[in-house]
Amino acid sequence: METILKESEVSKKNVKGLIDCDVHPYLDDFNELIPYLEEGIQRHMNIGKFEKSMLENMNAGSFTFPKARYANPNHVLRLDAITPEGGVPGSDPVFTVKDLLDRHNHTFGILNIGHGTMAGYHNVEIAAGYTSGSNDWLYDRWVESDPRFKMTMSVTPLAPDLAVQEIRRIGHKPGIVGINLQNINIPLGKRHFWPIYEVAQEYNLPIVLHPDCEGTSEYAPPGAVGPASTYAEWHTTLSLIAQRQIMSLVCEGVFEKFPNLKFNFIEYGFSWLPSVMWRLDKNWKALRSEIPWVKELPSEYIRRNVRLGTQPIEESFHPKDIVELIKMVKAEDMLLFASDYPHWDGDESDRAFLHFPDDLKHKIFYENAKKSYRL
Amino acid sequence: METMQGDRLTSVVVCSAEELSPGQRKLVTVDGVEIAMVNVDGQLYAFRNRCPHQGVEMIYGPVTGAMLPSNPGEFNYGYDNQIIRCPLHGWEFDMKSGKSLFNPEKVSIGSYEVQEVKGSIVLKLKRVPTKISLKDFRCIH
Repeated sequence: METILKESEVSKKNVKGLIDCDVHPYLDDFNELIPYLEEGIQRHMNIGKFEKSMLENMNAGSFTFPKARYANPNHVLRLDAITPEGGVPGSDPVFTVKDLLDRHNHTFGILNIGHGTMAGYHNVEIAAGYTSGSNDWLYDRWVESDPRFKMTMSVTPLAPDLAVQEIRRIGHKPGIVGINLQNINIPLGKRHFWPIYEVAQEYNLPIVLHPDCEGTSEYAPPGAVGPASTYAEWHTTLSLIAQRQIMSLVCEGVFEKFPNLKFNFIEYGFSWLPSVMWRLDKNWKALRSEIPWVKELPSEYIRRNVRLGTQPIEESFHPKDIVELIKMVKAEDMLLFASDYPHWDGDESDRAFLHFPDDLKHKIFYENAKKSYRL
Repeated sequence: METMQGDRLTSVVVCSAEELSPGQRKLVTVDGVEIAMVNVDGQLYAFRNRCPHQGVEMIYGPVTGAMLPSNPGEFNYGYDNQIIRCPLHGWEFDMKSGKSLFNPEKVSIGSYEVQEVKGSIVLKLKRVPTKISLKDFRCIH
């Protein structure tokens, strides 16, 4: 019987341009960061020439990277993305190009850190050192490897001054298209963040939010009431974080103060958008005098300044209803396609939007992202 | 390609038994439909390769058991090594019947009769195939 090689398989249905707003690079080994970390940071982390393997088994010993409190008990990384060498999905730029970019005919894949941030870590200077090293590693190993790769740069939301410093250090680089800020337990609208927003607007870089601190950080946003018992419950609650943050951004007047700044919430879903818009608009009409800097309907600000990644796309009971929902609140220009490769909860571009009309699909797949990132 | 007709089903030899020994998998395309074949400790299974959710390839999924529906707080393990999970979202399918665990009536990957006959792996199909071939894939299980 003849054997057909998968390599000769034709690529998936062509789209008129595809910008994927969520691709995750992974470290194969934490030691990959060594060349990008300052000596003092390496010493603190006991890596590189400072490695002390004796401490690794001791509970109250050396530095440990913030660990996710919740993990999918089945698999976090999709099992069909294990690299040909048997390596961690998402750890090989060459394979990601083949398995994702080529297969789906990507125009761009925007990389958001996969192996974790230290954005809410208790030692802010160490976190800043790791963050800079991590950004440099990502640019060097991934962005430089293929012109279709772009990235968001991580910063330290707990220390706005260090975040601004990092943006001024590398924010000008052409491969950087957004700022991965992270949700912590300070609502996004607060003055605490305004110095970061000012620089971001100056550099024409959107603020991107993507889950990580929600599960790893000491300064995590309170897990929507309290700790969930299971991953299933925790993963579902993530959409509540984005809703809460949008309310803060609107009421604090961030969109008045920084009218050109976009906030892209990736991986928080979007079907909750109508209830947030309707509730905020209703309240504003009555309570406007308490927030007089909000000068138009909150839903107008949201439509202008907020973007929402489609993944994990909510699957309405009747498939066409999700399209009606988008039309209901005129969110056609707000949605951004994201694959979330190689995570277990990703969306396949040619299957997740079967009932969407072509013009809406083109906006979601390409036009909206083109206008919402510094591309 | 060897085919034999009888009993309404067509028997097709896919490969030798050695090529699908315990722990191994094979992917065969029959007139454009991909069929995944697995040998789990000597037990042979065959089912459609595409998950009905978003079309992801089942051949890369893990063979597992399952947590049976239970009372709150109870964990009852069963179906050991009889389940294949989609490698993306993890939907669980009974390999023998192809039916999903969460909605057996409506969601399924189907199943095909597959046996070892005189040192060959024989797949039973409803129609005589026009084109059948093995497909290479990254075997990671």
